[in-house]
Amino acid sequence: MTLNIDEEQDVSVTKGMIRAEFNFWVGIVMDKFYDGLQEKKFIGTKCSKCGKVFLPPRNRCGDCFAKAEDFIDLPETGILKNFTVTTYKISERKTRNVKKDQIVGLVQIDGADSAMVVPVININPEDLKIGMKLKVVWAKNIKGDPNDIAGFEPIGGV
Amino acid sequence: MANVQPAVISAGFCEHASKRSDVNMAELVNEAVEDCLNKAGSVEWKDIDYVINGNMPAFEGANMPELWMTDHMAAKNKPLLRVTTGGTTGGSVFVSGYYAVASGLYDMVLAVAFEQQSCGNTTVGLASVALGELSIYPSLGYEATRLRRNMGAGAAIGVASYQAMNYMRRSKATEEDLARVVVQNRRNAAKNWWTHLKMPTITIEDVLDTPYISYPLRFGMVCPASDGACAVLFTTEEKAKQIADVPVYINGVGSYANEPAIIGVDCGGAGQTDPCEQLGAVKSAELAYSQAGISFPNKEIDYAEVYSPFPNQELQWVERVGLFEPNSAPEAYLNGVTALNGEMPVNCSGGVNSTNAIGASAMERPAESALQIMGKAGNQVPKTVHTALGHGWGGAINLISHVVMADEPQRKFK
Amino acid sequence: MDKVAIVGFYQVKPGLDLMMSPYEMLFEATRGALDHAGLKRDDLSTVIGCNNDYYDGKTISNCFKVEAGGAYMKDESKVEMDGAHAVMYGLMRILSGNHKLAMVYGISAPSCFPYESVRILETDPTFDRPINLLNGYTAGGMQMRAYLNAFGLSEEDIAKVAVYNLKNAAKNPLAIPEAQKTNITVDEVLNSEMLSAPLKKLMYPILCDGVTALILAPERQARKITDKPVWITGVGHFNDTYYLGDRDLSSCSSMEKAAEKAYKIAGINNPKSEINVAELFGHTACEDLILAEAAGLADKGKGLSLIDTGKLNPSGGTMAGYTPAANGLTRIVEAVKQIRGEAEGHQISGANKAIASGQVGFCAQNNIVYVLEGGE
Ligand SMILES: [Zn+2]
Repeated sequence: MTLNIDEEQDVSVTKGMIRAEFNFWVGIVMDKFYDGLQEKKFIGTKCSKCGKVFLPPRNRCGDCFAKAEDFIDLPETGILKNFTVTTYKISERKTRNVKKDQIVGLVQIDGADSAMVVPVININPEDLKIGMKLKVVWAKNIKGDPNDIAGFEPIGGV
Repeated sequence: MANVQPAVISAGFCEHASKRSDVNMAELVNEAVEDCLNKAGSVEWKDIDYVINGNMPAFEGANMPELWMTDHMAAKNKPLLRVTTGGTTGGSVFVSGYYAVASGLYDMVLAVAFEQQSCGNTTVGLASVALGELSIYPSLGYEATRLRRNMGAGAAIGVASYQAMNYMRRSKATEEDLARVVVQNRRNAAKNWWTHLKMPTITIEDVLDTPYISYPLRFGMVCPASDGACAVLFTTEEKAKQIADVPVYINGVGSYANEPAIIGVDCGGAGQTDPCEQLGAVKSAELAYSQAGISFPNKEIDYAEVYSPFPNQELQWVERVGLFEPNSAPEAYLNGVTALNGEMPVNCSGGVNSTNAIGASAMERPAESALQIMGKAGNQVPKTVHTALGHGWGGAINLISHVVMADEPQRKFK
Repeated sequence: MDKVAIVGFYQVKPGLDLMMSPYEMLFEATRGALDHAGLKRDDLSTVIGCNNDYYDGKTISNCFKVEAGGAYMKDESKVEMDGAHAVMYGLMRILSGNHKLAMVYGISAPSCFPYESVRILETDPTFDRPINLLNGYTAGGMQMRAYLNAFGLSEEDIAKVAVYNLKNAAKNPLAIPEAQKTNITVDEVLNSEMLSAPLKKLMYPILCDGVTALILAPERQARKITDKPVWITGVGHFNDTYYLGDRDLSSCSSMEKAAEKAYKIAGINNPKSEINVAELFGHTACEDLILAEAAGLADKGKGLSLIDTGKLNPSGGTMAGYTPAANGLTRIVEAVKQIRGEAEGHQISGANKAIASGQVGFCAQNNIVYVLEGGE
């Protein structure tokens, strides 16, 4: 850590960073989801009351406040519910304009009632259509975490 | 006196441990919420019309985590409020639960407080209570290399050791007196299902055998860092009578703020020069007692839970909130007055000294007091508890929460 | 609901960087609110603050705001959401009968922290945080697309709202100069930088440092303190689920429920005709419309018509300068000024019933709305 007092501006600037590591336990159902990713598989959960299927899984249904701990295998395909295209990358540290289009999609896997915010790849932004069919593309190196989802691409090209 | 008489009808906990790595934060909170609802008789989650939550924000590195945890705390399509005040958070959430009912706006209020400390770095979190003002140090002539030591002083153990020194000077308490408090807490914790440090056979010698962390506090006297959550259900007097076997009425609340201790605003000096004086706690207690119609807390209160991560604080708080004469607490502990079967049992839950899921700790105090009145506490005292208090503190030992509860609504006090 | 009034208020003139310590800013606001109401600090019985440890870069930042916030030896607490949520807690404390005078303040200084980065910390740490695509920009972009698609509207329509907001800001002396654009055109908005398609930079508010404070009192005290009390006659507060995929982003169900509840308490049957002014906390120009529609001020998809009436965000709304943790309070204070007839430069004539709202979360997950009325 370095300290730097800028007297001319009558303001003190503290530079340097304090490292604080955060490890989030993934929990009962996400643990299974992560395991599924390791095998290139989507595992969701089903509400024991209303039958809604969640992917990524949650262990409680917000509508019924009932357990959703029955696991269910889900396919690799889904539809694009919504999307946006941005050149900004916002990390926990800073906001950067990377000057490169990234497509962010809200993708609902077939058979699921929820959707996930994931990258959409291998398509030009102008060809995107809400409702289009997509299929997951797995990352080259599977590590058993959400970034194993390299993205979703249109089925059969555009 | 509040326009509507609030009452507690249920309190729930999850099992506390140093690492609840089996669940994520949302699932951890959910365990406490479910436990609370399961013990609330006919009340269903749909009946809840207001949800209040809080934790220590910077410890897990998650901002307003209740937003993504909504579905897990039964808060979808309900109002959800977040109240955080550092270590006092749980107590402040409890007090806001009281106000949500007392306002007459809502009549079934769920309050949730939690902490999953194993997710984050609590010491960095606590150090940053001081770090925000770090930049002033060089102008005061400090060398940058010495900053680390100051960070230690800013974190809770630093404040607590100053407090302990001040208390010991005033009361002539010894290290043995401090160790006695620890032994009582940890043995109590062993009999309470949800606690973290369970030590049924611990002795004063065991505690005194551990090395100093910061004189006069030894390793064996320091609270653990826990993962845990607590949930409490509040309702009106009318509904409580229908639902609960023993409704617990909240008759007084106080949450006075003092100036920060040790680390003043922009390091302009300490607001409190003696951190064991605690005017805020004294005034909060006075306000709560006056609302509850209590004139002699040392006689009228049957049970107390105070927030004491460190043993000297327990001695100090029981005096400041009016349960014992100044400087007399060590003797009371020696004579077993505060033990499970004593005249004024204190922290029979095991206290914060045995379990400290920081955001939840200050709510667990009134929650356990309420359970003692209901006769449903994990480590129930043998005598009947009519009136009990739950106390919490936080911030730079300048924020307080003080709750007085009884098995009768306040207007019926003789 | 018993009558509770806003009897005094103060907004520190916001700026991109106020070059003030948070305590100076806060003291100016709390002192200002007390002076405005003609009260002394001794008169206060409770103080509710609103700030956020992540915004302040400091754990338990509220514990250092005790003195400047006027809370020394007062029964105090802190809400960590929007300032409008803190007003709810203040209101509860007054309605309980335990307190007779409550100070509520909201403060943050975005010149000192990366707001968009801090919002990342709001996301689900088990999925959205590692993926790192959900943020303020992308959520705003998807929300706008959902809204445009649902009602067959164009980007130009939202640009019109942005123009309307920025022109309104030009008439508001407490808007930041960077947002006061008298001659802005729809084309300028459409040609501004793309944040996250279709959301453009000029449809997104500019962050600024600021503090807003107000004082609440029950009826008896309020009538003694001021000749122009503004009554809170209704309040509604609701929270939706976090998951964007579970929500219809073209509308806002938590705002609908909150407004419905607030109107019910206030006895308002026809918000369209009864409400003269709405100061709503929309995070984008598009969200302003979504919230206004959810509050029943216009039919769904027809929110754009409100800009012709001028009753939506006459101050410029969030687009006049956005101070996290204080913005909802600023909206309430702006609505209060309208009812008191004191909105210099942007007064709506004859305003006597207003709504003001605050929110937190992506795509307005958690909304709180107040009905404010003048007169007896
Ligand atoms: Zn369900």
